[in-house]
Amino acid sequence: MAEPADDIQVKIATDAAEKFVESYYPSLNNAKGRAHLTEFYIRPTEASPLQADITLNGNTVADPAQLQSIFENQVSKAHYDVQSFDCQVINTNYNVGINETMFAPNKDGKKMSILVMVNGSVKYFRDNTDGEIRGFTETLVLVPNFEAHGPKSPKGAKKWLIQSQTFRLVL
Amino acid sequence: MIQRSTAPPRGPRSGPSGAQGGGRGGIQKRRGGGPVRVDKDGDLDMDGSGRGKSGKGRLESPTPTRPQRPQPPGRGRASTPRAGNLGTQKAQQAILRGLGAKQANVLDSRVSTGGTTLQVDGLKSSKAASNPDGGLDSLLGFLERKAAALDSGSNRTVRIKKSHIKGDSVIITASPEDIEQIAKLNSFVFAGSSLTIKPCESASPPHGPKEDKNVVSQTAQETKEKFRAILAARYDGNLKLLNLSALAQDTELLQMGFGAFDEKTTSKLFPALMVVADQLFKSWQEKRDAIVSVSLANNGLSDVAAVTSLAQTFPDIKNLDLSSNNIKDLKSISAWRWKFRNLETLVLANNPVETQAPNFNVEIMKWYPKLQNLNYVQVRTPEEVAATIEAVNTPIPISGPDFRDVSQVGENFIRQFVALYDTDRGAFLSSFYDAESVFSLAVNMHAPRSREHTAPVPSWDTYTKHSRNLTKLTYAGPRLNRRYKGVQAIQPVWAELPSTRHPDLGTEAAKYIIECHPLPGLADPSGQNPGGVDGLIITMHGEFEEQKIATEKALRSFSRTFILGPGAPSGPPIRVVCDMLTLRAWTPLAMPSQSAPHPAQVTPAIGVEQQQKEVVARQLMEKTGMTMEYAVMCLEQTAWELPQAFEAFQQNKVLTYIHHSYVKLMKTANKTHRTNYPPMHSFQGPLYKMYELICSRSQDTKSLANIQ
Repeated sequence: MAEPADDIQVKIATDAAEKFVESYYPSLNNAKGRAHLTEFYIRPTEASPLQADITLNGNTVADPAQLQSIFENQVSKAHYDVQSFDCQVINTNYNVGINETMFAPNKDGKKMSILVMVNGSVKYFRDNTDGEIRGFTETLVLVPNFEAHGPKSPKGAKKWLIQSQTFRLVL
Repeated sequence: MIQRSTAPPRGPRSGPSGAQGGGRGGIQKRRGGGPVRVDKDGDLDMDGSGRGKSGKGRLESPTPTRPQRPQPPGRGRASTPRAGNLGTQKAQQAILRGLGAKQANVLDSRVSTGGTTLQVDGLKSSKAASNPDGGLDSLLGFLERKAAALDSGSNRTVRIKKSHIKGDSVIITASPEDIEQIAKLNSFVFAGSSLTIKPCESASPPHGPKEDKNVVSQTAQETKEKFRAILAARYDGNLKLLNLSALAQDTELLQMGFGAFDEKTTSKLFPALMVVADQLFKSWQEKRDAIVSVSLANNGLSDVAAVTSLAQTFPDIKNLDLSSNNIKDLKSISAWRWKFRNLETLVLANNPVETQAPNFNVEIMKWYPKLQNLNYVQVRTPEEVAATIEAVNTPIPISGPDFRDVSQVGENFIRQFVALYDTDRGAFLSSFYDAESVFSLAVNMHAPRSREHTAPVPSWDTYTKHSRNLTKLTYAGPRLNRRYKGVQAIQPVWAELPSTRHPDLGTEAAKYIIECHPLPGLADPSGQNPGGVDGLIITMHGEFEEQKIATEKALRSFSRTFILGPGAPSGPPIRVVCDMLTLRAWTPLAMPSQSAPHPAQVTPAIGVEQQQKEVVARQLMEKTGMTMEYAVMCLEQTAWELPQAFEAFQQNKVLTYIHHSYVKLMKTANKTHRTNYPPMHSFQGPLYKMYELICSRSQDTKSLANIQ
């Protein structure tokens, strides 16, 4: 098995980033989506105890469940608008948390880890008050959801999950 | 206007009629209003009213050449005064008809004019030229009579609508039918002179439609000036107050037709007033600075429909006075429910709403979150408002940077970046990048900016061809081509990008927020760890100054993420795996909020505990080599738990704390001086010494450190 070619890497990474941006931010913008935020993150297992590393405005967030609760309880209403994003492949053969027998590279780019940087505006609301428009920058690392790879994988499972997230209001 | 026309017809009405832009035609409309006319043919006062010279339509006459003549029936404007005048008009008709019946000879000469304007020559050489008016009046009378007489039997009249003298010629205007008749009078003899009548050259007389338009716009200009004068008189520069109270009692406005707010004229005048007000300012900022308060008191308003344009023109006002109006309920002002988002004071006193909707104040407070004063009563303190706004704007509090470095790898890298990227990009590139390093940049051209900074954004030209903003860049080709992999590919791009100056980390650290944490799962360039190695992900937010051309500088805001990992055996020890730059219009970086929880600020307890603490502090001193003073400081950050204090020390958490303290100190300093923050070493206290001490140590505990 060979490493994915450059054009495959870019294609897969940009598609993954695009899909992520198009699903994650709309989820933050409505209550229904917020109830399922944890699904965007890696889940620690016995074989792979790695926990997602989440920082919001400099505050470290213990786990995706806490993040979801912050959005469900603390951020009453928000509107995130993505104005630019970019992505790069970090590692073409990401092997964290998987069995050594699966260490071989995947030429189709299914085992990559991907750096995504998102820039945009956000407006928060509470009660009858709308906040001012603010700017945000968010840096994310997406890694493969190996559970979605097998033939028995649950339908509609996300192919890429957040392993690292650093959000900050920049305006 | 229609209403006004029913007013007594004769009064000298100057201002209002002109101000309404009714287009009084201006020049020499031949209608009533002239002095008593003595007809050459029969000393007849056709109007008989003896009205004064200040008739309508004379405001703009540039070349009055002839006294005005009576208006015939059916041709005048709707606004022509009729009442009390009918008898005269009937007499006129009869006379004219009679005149028309006098002659019966029909001439064959037909001059097709196709237009409505004729040039008549020959007056100058006629005997009538010695008349006081140069004989024009006589000539026009002659032409009308003779032309009408051409059609014997018909009772038609011929009217010359306009006339003026142009050189030796007389230019006349009439309806096409009448022009056709008058043209037949070519070579007729008038007062001893043979007339030449021909179609007027297209070099039109000075009073065409164009002239009329000028007259209208001139009228509008005058209105504008009047509005400006009114606004100026009602503006208080000290209070920054635009006092639009009791408008209906303003004599100037009354003259312009301003009446009660439910009247049609008024509903148009107020928006017009707002438009003129808006035009007084070059920018939003200027407007915001000049007008903070507006009063609409005493205007008899039952709702805000007639004045709603105020919210468009002055959306940022802080104080609004609606007192002494006729507002009965909140519905009447609900058009402003979502307007005036910065409203701090609202006066609704002396309105029926006070008694008819007793709970209106509760609702109003909900409408305007920044409202502090309602009907002269303080309803919120500025602190409460600030807290609310802060809570809304920042549901997730902004804290200082989360900088979880590993053995100062991140810190050292950033120091190198700031020092070298501006001065020697090549050196920086060769120190940290290899053939696998990837660089890309994306420009966000729509990034929000603070209201205080609205200067135009310098052109992004030099960046756009490299910009990999994937919201815009949708094709696979450019997505691949704008990702630069390897030193060879990155070098030319960096050479092309404008030279930069990043703020100094020591003296201008507050212009940055830099965060980092370890990142597992990087590729091991040595190939020894197929499961991956640990690295560091650093995101820095800040600004840089760009040297566009020799004289011009531009400020940009940026965020830049670096992923660092162990280098290949032959390359640099630390390599950049990813370097991703996001650019946006400059705006100051959001800084940690004062109220945000500060990392572990524990006040040391006194009393019995003191001795225990001393023991712990001594232990820490031994372990770390710090003095007592610094050991205590360190322990204070970790609730006097020795293991944690030691670990914190090792993991540079103390450094992070110092950075936080520094930022806080700088914020305080900045508030006082509003200048650059003092450099960190100017704080010669224990903080800085501890900072120095920690910086000088290297704890080789984590994987990255082994490569250093």
